[in-house]
Order: sequence, then C-alpha cells, then structure tokens
Amino acid sequence: MVDQLDNLKNIWQNQGDSSIKFSEGDIFKMVQKKSSSIVKWILIISILEFILPNVVWFFTDFEATQNLYQNYGLSTTMKIYSIIHFMVIVVFIYLFYKNYKNISAENSVKKLLANILNTRKAVKYYIYYNITMAALIGIHMFYKIFNSELFLNKLPENTNMIMVWLVALGLFVLALFIFWGFYRILYGILLKKLKNNYYELDKN
Amino acid sequence: MNQELEKQFVKELESNQNLIHKICRSYTNSDASHKDLFQEITIQLWRAYPKFRGESKFSTWMYRVAFNTAISLYRKTTRKVETTQIYDNLKELEYHDYDDSQDKQLQLLYDAIYSLNDIEKALALLYLENKNYKEIATTLGISEVNARVKMNRTKTKLKNILNP
Repeated sequence: MVDQLDNLKNIWQNQGDSSIKFSEGDIFKMVQKKSSSIVKWILIISILEFILPNVVWFFTDFEATQNLYQNYGLSTTMKIYSIIHFMVIVVFIYLFYKNYKNISAENSVKKLLANILNTRKAVKYYIYYNITMAALIGIHMFYKIFNSELFLNKLPENTNMIMVWLVALGLFVLALFIFWGFYRILYGILLKKLKNNYYELDKN
Repeated sequence: MNQELEKQFVKELESNQNLIHKICRSYTNSDASHKDLFQEITIQLWRAYPKFRGESKFSTWMYRVAFNTAISLYRKTTRKVETTQIYDNLKELEYHDYDDSQDKQLQLLYDAIYSLNDIEKALALLYLENKNYKEIATTLGISEVNARVKMNRTKTKLKNILNP
C-alpha cells in the first residue's frame, strides 16, 4: 500500500518540464492583463449593491414624493430615516473596505477564504438592513396613508380595511421574495466554490 | 524602478514556472483553462510581488500564491470532462501492465488528482512534493493534527481511485 504511494511520488518527482511553457515575453504580456478573479467580481457587485438601493430615488419625482410625504404627515419621519440611512451606509462601506483590504493571496488558504467570505458578509448585512428598513418604512407609510382622511375619502363605502392591508402587505412581501430569490441565485453561483472549500478545510 | 522590478519578476517566474504548471494541470482539464489559470496566477503574483521581501524562497512564496489563486480566486470556465475518461485510461493501463511508460502513469496520476476536490488536490500535490506537515499546515491554515487526518483521507481516496 505504502509502496504504491511512494511509487507515485517517484513518478511525480521525475516528471519532466511541462508541455506548456511560457517565454519571458509571454509572462511579460500576462503581467499587463487584468485580473478576472472572484474578488474582483465581488467588488463590482458590492459597489452596485451599495449604489442601487439609493439610485431608486433619482428616478422618482422628487416634488411629487415630497408632496406625498407632506400630505400624509411623513416629512419629519422620512428625514430622520434618511439621516440614519446615510450614517449606516458610511459604517458599512468602512467595514467592507477594511475587509477588502485584508484579502491577500499571501495568506494561508483558510485565512484567504475567510477574508473573502467576510467581505461578502458585510454586504449581505447591508442588504438585510435595507430589507428591514424597507419593511419598516413601508409599514409605517401604509399605516399613515390608510388612516388618513385623504385616502379614506377616495375609497368606496364599506371597503374592508383588513383586505386593503392584506393586499398591500401581500404585494410587498411578494416583491421582497422575488428580490431575495434573485439574490440567492446570484451569490449561490458566485460563492459556492469558496463556501465548499472553506467547509472542507474547517471540518475535522 | 518599476520596470526593473518587473524584469526581475518575469525572469524569476520564467525559471520557476514548472511548479505553477503542475498546479494548473491538476486544477484544470483543458489546455485553454490551464493557460487561463496560469495567467491569473501570474497577475496575482505580480500584484503581491512588491511585498515579497525574500523572507522565504521565491518558489515557496510563489507556490502559496498559486494555490490560493487556484483554490479561491480563480473563476472556472468549466468544461465538463467525461468521468469515464479516467476509467478508460485505467483499462488501457491494465493491458500494458508491465510495459507502461512514465508518461502514461503520470497522466493517470494527474487524472486521479483532478477528480479530487480542491482541498484534496492541494493535499495530494503537497504530499507529492514531499512537503512536511508543518509546511502543509501553514500553507492551508489548519492545525498539524488536522493536516495529518486530512492527508490520510486524501491518500486513501487517491489509492481507491487508482485501484478501483
């Protein structure tokens, strides 16, 4: 048994030069090329994730939104939410940057895997935070709007308010699920290999 | 100055490239992805090179970065290899039982390594390169005890693949 493995070692160590061989010129050209590593993809996607939830506001009619808030008495609340939101973003970007800086190909395999997964985790919590905030603000807005005269006057008589709530919340939850599903698939593909390898190293 | 550094790097890599080719051949199943991986390793090495102060040998340092690239950083462009390939090669080997060329045995060994998972591949390579447990443990970032356990499992798996 042992002999066979020793034999393999001999074969391995006596192997000649690789059939693929690069000249100094080839290597020089490779040095100029751009990396297409997984870390680069995570960085690109993460930057998009930081930007996209905020970009939505550029496509909404600012004045109309402000009027809406004013009509339903939401102006102050929304201002407070915005301030909290931007403070939280700063914290997340700092955490992300710190983790990203720690990624080094000179670490041990396990440390490198952990650092990449941690960088990713900061963005994941950022997304959790966004979903929670969207839910909180959403429910708050529904509550204010559904209880305002302005809204109630527009409804036909004898409207069942419970139904209105159910439809509104149902649509909201559905939107979240679609978003969540897409998100899971994206990261499922991107991180499967890293997670498997980390698990493989971690188990005894 | 940067140009000087680049020249020095390219030269060192050129003369040590065999070690990287062994990793590439173990982690990929076509010449095209072998070259892809080699290129990504080169980029990662060059990126880390300014920090390389020669505390360890160039080849040791290079080996570590290359493993990390193969295991963690490289995005595979998977080309599925037929699982039957290994067994076809095996059959062929049986026919030439006492007449096998070194090359065929080597190819068989590479095929067997390729069928292991990413971490087992690293363990197999480190074993074949005669690295001691301390070095294996630091390269992978696990304890020596854990390295021994994993190594034994990998060796058994390798044997089972080669002797189905």
